[in-house]
Parts: sequence; C-alpha cells; structure tokens
Amino acid sequence: MSKQINVALIGNPNTGKTSVFNQLTGLKQKVGNYPGITVEKKEGVCKLPRGVKAHILDLPGTYSLNTTSLDESVAVELLLNKNDKDHPDVAVVISDVENLKRNLLLFTQIKDLRIPAILVINMADRMTRTGISLDIPLLEEKLDTKIALVSTRKGTGIDRLKELISEYKTLSRNPNVDTTVIEPSYFERLKETFPNQDLYKLWLVITQDVNFMPIEKMLIKDSSSFTTKSKSELKRLQQKETILRYQFINGILKETYKIDIAAAKGFRASLDKILTHKIFGYLIFFVILLSIFQAIYDWSGYPQAIIETFFASASEWVKNTLPPGVFTNLIAEGVLSGIGGIVVFVPQIAFLFLFISLLEETGYMSRVVFLMDKLMRPFGLSGKSVVPLISGTACAIPAVMATRTIENWKERLITILVTPFTTCSARLPVYLIIIALVIPKGRFLGLNYQGLTLMLLYLIGFGAAILAAMVLNRILKIKSRSFFVVEMPNYKLPLFKNVVFTVWEKTKSFVVGAGKIILAIAIILWFLGSNGISDNFKNAEEIVEKRIASEGLSDFNRSNIESGLVAYNEALRDSVQNEVYRIDAAAIADSLQQRKEALFETAKNQEISSFKLENSYMGYMGKAIEPIVKPLGYDWKIGIAVLTSFAAREVFVGTLATIYSVGSDEENTDTITQRMAAEVDPTTKKPIFNLASGISLLLFYAFAMQCMSTLAVVKRETNSWKWPTAQLVFMSTFAYLVALIAYQVLK
Amino acid sequence: MGMLQPILVYITLAIAVGFIVRKFFLPKSLFVSKGAHKRKEKGCGQDDCGCH
Repeated sequence: MSKQINVALIGNPNTGKTSVFNQLTGLKQKVGNYPGITVEKKEGVCKLPRGVKAHILDLPGTYSLNTTSLDESVAVELLLNKNDKDHPDVAVVISDVENLKRNLLLFTQIKDLRIPAILVINMADRMTRTGISLDIPLLEEKLDTKIALVSTRKGTGIDRLKELISEYKTLSRNPNVDTTVIEPSYFERLKETFPNQDLYKLWLVITQDVNFMPIEKMLIKDSSSFTTKSKSELKRLQQKETILRYQFINGILKETYKIDIAAAKGFRASLDKILTHKIFGYLIFFVILLSIFQAIYDWSGYPQAIIETFFASASEWVKNTLPPGVFTNLIAEGVLSGIGGIVVFVPQIAFLFLFISLLEETGYMSRVVFLMDKLMRPFGLSGKSVVPLISGTACAIPAVMATRTIENWKERLITILVTPFTTCSARLPVYLIIIALVIPKGRFLGLNYQGLTLMLLYLIGFGAAILAAMVLNRILKIKSRSFFVVEMPNYKLPLFKNVVFTVWEKTKSFVVGAGKIILAIAIILWFLGSNGISDNFKNAEEIVEKRIASEGLSDFNRSNIESGLVAYNEALRDSVQNEVYRIDAAAIADSLQQRKEALFETAKNQEISSFKLENSYMGYMGKAIEPIVKPLGYDWKIGIAVLTSFAAREVFVGTLATIYSVGSDEENTDTITQRMAAEVDPTTKKPIFNLASGISLLLFYAFAMQCMSTLAVVKRETNSWKWPTAQLVFMSTFAYLVALIAYQVLK
Repeated sequence: MGMLQPILVYITLAIAVGFIVRKFFLPKSLFVSKGAHKRKEKGCGQDDCGCH
C-alpha cells in the first residue's frame, strides 16, 4: 500500500508558486502576475519516486509568518497546528532567484518551526540574463536544507524537486536562527511557563494578533511572568527578530549569491550596464541632477510671478476693503505676507518632487542605490544610505525613519546622524530667496548661475553628509559586520497617476505642515514688530520728521530718489519724443516735481517704519542677539529670522517677509526680494544682502541643524537624547564657524 | 467698534502662541486622551511608526 504525505507549497507572492503546483500535480490553474492570486487553499496529488504519493497544498502567498491579512493567516495556522489533517510533513518554500533575500525571510521562519523544509529557487532561466550565479552546495550547507533550482517556464528542476520531497525524512529539522537572543530574559520566562513547548512556535502564537486577528489560545491563569507591557513592545521585538534574520541571510548571500552585471544580457541588462557603469553611471547621474536643477529655475518663473502678484493684490484688497485698524493690518501685513512668502516657492518644490518621483517610478533610483554603494562604503555608509540621503531632499523626518531598512546598527546610526545635512525642501525657500538676491542672473555655457549655485548647495549638503559619516565611522567604536543586497526592479514607464499623487502629497504636506507653523510665527512676529513700549516707538513719526528736517533723508534714500527721478525723466522725455504725450516743458517740470514729492513721501514713511521696527519689541530682541550674528554679516533683522527658524528652516523666509512688510507702504508694489535688496547697512551704507553675507547665510543654512521635529525623530530612532543633542551642538557650531569664515574672507 | 480690532488681534495672538507652545514645548502625552490611545492601537498597531 502506497504512503501519502502532506506537502505544503508556501512562498512570497509572485514567486511562481502556482506554476510549481501545476507542474507537480498536472492540474491546470490560472497563473497571474499580481499578488494574492491564490486566495484560498488549493490541493492536488503528485506521484513521487518509490511509489510515494504526495498530497500537495498550494497555500496563499505570504511574505512572512507575521501575518497581516486573512489569506496569509490560513498558511500560518496550518503550519502551527499539528492536529490539522493537512499539517505538512514537508514544506516546499518557493522563492524567486531575483528576490532571494526577501524570500529567505519566510524560509528561515518555517525552518525555525522545525518543519522539514525544501527550498525551491524558481525562475532559474533568468540567471544568465541577469548575471546571477549561485553556490548551491554552500547555500544548502549554510541553510541546512536541500535546494531545487527550478524553471517552471522551461520545466526544468521539477524531477529533482520530486526526488527531494520523497526523501523528506532525511531533511534536517534544526532551526536556522536562535530567536531567543532578541530578548533572552523574555524567552527564559516563556520557557519556564511552558517547559514542554517549542519556543518559536509560542512566540508566533503570542505575536499573531499583533498584526492581525487573534487566534485561539490556551488560557493561562497567571501570565504576568512572560507577558510584555504592550503590543508596541511585542512589535518592537518582532522588528528585532526580522533584523536578526536579515543579518543571518545577508551573511549567507554574501558568500553564495553573486550578481555580475558585466555578464548580464538583454535590454534591461544593457541599460543596467550603462547606468551602473563606474564612469558613465556617475556621469549620467550628475547630468540628470544638473538638468533637474536647471529645469527647477527655468520652469518656475511664470507661476511664481502669478503667485507673487496674487498675494500683493490680496494684501491691497484687504487693506482697501476691511475697515482700517490693527486687525486689518495684521491680516494684510502679517498673515498674507508670511504665507505668501512660502506659497511662492510651491512651483519649485513641486518640480523637484516631480523629478524625484519620475526617477523612482522608472526604476532608476535603485540603480543609483547600487551605483552609490561602492562610493559610500569607505565612508562607513552603505548603498542603502542613499535612500535616506535622497529622501532627505524632501524632508529629514521620513528620511531618518527610512534608515530602518539598514540592518547594520553602526551604518544606521551614522546615516541618521548625517541625513540632516542633505538639503531638505525646507531649506529650498531660504536658498532660492538668497540666491535671487546675491547671485547674478547671467548664463555660462547655457547654464544659469542661479541654477548652478542651487545644485552646488545640494552637492555641499551631500558632501558634508559624506564627510561627517567618514569622521563618525572613525570615532564610533561600534563593531558590526556589513552587507549590501538590493532588489533591482524592472524599468517601466512612470504611471501618471502615481507621479501626480506623489507631487501633490509632498507639496501639500510641505505647505500645510509648514504653513501652520509659519502662520503662527508670522502672527507673533507681526505683533512684536508692530508694538513697543519705549517713547521712541510711540513718538516715531515726530522723531523721524525732525531728523529729516534737520539732516535730510538717509544717503541711500537720497540716491534712490535721484536715480528714480532720472529714470522717470528719461521715460517721460521718451514718451514726449515718441508723441505718446503732448506736453510742454513746464508740464514736464511739474510732473517731475510731483514725482519727487511722491518719492520723498515714500522714503520718509519707510524711514519711519524702519525706526518703529527698530524700537519695537522685536527690535529689542534682535538687538540683543546682534553681537552674535554681526560677525557673520547679518543685521538684527536677519538675526531674528535665523532665531525663529530654529523651529523650522522655512520660517526664515516667512519671518523676513513679515519683518520687511511691517509698517512699509511699499509691500503692495514691491516683492519681498526687491524689498530685501533695498536693505542698507546704516553704518557701511552698503546693501545688507551682498555676496559675502549671502554666501555666509547660504552656508549657515547648509550646515545648521534647524528643525525641532527632526531632533525629536532622531531621539525616537536612537532611543536616547545623547545623539540629537550632539547633532544639534555639532551642526550649529560648525555652521556658525563656516559662515563666519565665509563672510570674513569674502567681505 | 473701535475696540473690536485690538480684541481680535489679541485673540489671534493668543491662539498663535498657544499653538507654538503646544507644538514645541509641551509633551505630546498631555494631549492624548485615553480614547485616542485606544484608536491608535487599533490602527496600524505600531506605536512608533510616526504615522499618527
């Protein structure tokens, strides 16, 4: 009489599990290319050598035994329940040769349940095309199992698989990973409570409902000896288990799994060869970055002009429509100026995310990760650090969280500490406004200077991150082994919907997330700048008028009026010559006089508002910190903006927008950039925003740690205040010193 | 009527200051009610994911 054994086919979605099932059983079943095609239990019979019959179960696809859905839990319950009539005598774990690392996570978990397990490496026909080579005997030895290299497409390896199934009794039942090391004391208590039970099985039962639905458990009268405080603690232990498994898998794959891109064939392989080439790869990446930054500048001009005009008109409309008073001023000068100062940068931010999203969608970003691994390793980072570093161009917060994929603690810690150096979107408005002020608009070989400066700042941020990583790699005495395995997705055309969604989400989160803080700070700043207790503030108009009467206007305003009149005179004479107007010389003189008076009035009002601001609450605060920022080339107004932007960098622009609009009569016609460009140092009579102070500011923002939320996330990820504190102190001191040197050299 | 605008300014200022203080200077635990905690556990099940 022939024996019948239970065989369970289990594996990640899209590994060709159903195809293996078809080839073993001869049953025809639809094979799809999307996850979760086998949503219910499928069964069939297979004849094996030596008269053995196998009852084959095709279980739903699952990534691990930590289930997250109902169909995944079917597979886990069957593996855990020995009394189930379908409980397998042998598990056949199907994996895909191109995604072996991810697939082995599930294999090690099944092996740790002490169920005899065979590893099937499917899609072997793709090995030549992708340049993959495997040391099967060594892999069998390391995983303590038997392996069948299968190609369901070509029908190879199935006989070997049948042979291995029939010899299942010779398979080892030893586990791959000792899970108890993730929390020895916890597992010790568990063992004391259930002395006769398998610890890993218990652990899976306990953690089963962490992710999904509770399964039926034995009631324990006193579970205090082994239960943890919360689900989040169990989840943390589960994450530690996953990291432990990947460390084990990485160690094995490093010795047994090789990808030789030079040996790969086909379109994808040819493209990979070029994009990951040790010279062309970097060159292409550099050209792509350069094109992105050029496009950001060249394409954003028109929408920005529209936004600027809109906010200027809105401010004017509010003043003309609402009843005059302090609240109307708050809306027109505080709220609208602060928000307008940020919204104006939306086009540039949207374009940046559009390009990043396109790079990710096409599959190019994974090639960048692979390419950069070689470059990163000498600095104590891995190729995977590139993902947080590139994500950091959006925001350091998700970027720091993205370091969780880095298994090696030292590499992860270094990546966390250096990621805030990369240029996040919050720095972008600061850079854009300073560049517009101090970098000329000319072009060199078709590349505009401003775009080049912006790209340089991104490279400086990236360079600072790399150098800081190198230093940390030498300083930090943490011993750990390092591996790098990355999945290369197929190239594909970007999905329009996905790209639009990403751009929308990222831009919205920037505007809404930052907008609330900026709005609140703009309101506070407007109040501090519009109120004061000193006599100078209260009698500002009288004092300034007296001064103008005795000493005249400031030199800057005088020369401004003169140049304004010259320009007006020329324009008027041109119009007369071209017969646009027909007026006599007396009328021209009269018109010039009226223009002069208007310009004088504007200059007088500007001096009054400047005097009031200087004597307001904000003026006093700014003056108090001026000795610290003066050596960097900043006045007290910039000092205030730097101080408030310690909450979040983007507040800098909103603050300046509020400061320069406070009490000014020109905000309706002048944009914030023009207003800032007109700022003059009262002692040197030179513009405040010149090349030296501009570069100093750019460098300060390139290096300073000015984001409270990032500090909080670093604290959470490192579970200590030590690292965020060190980060804040080091980055701020470094930024100050670099800005100081830059200003003192360039002034 | 003349007093309305300064009152509105002070109310707006108080809201702005309150928001900044709450956002950056007070611990988050002060604002998490028991009900909210329960909802969080039923959510993604991960307390430190940063998604809530």
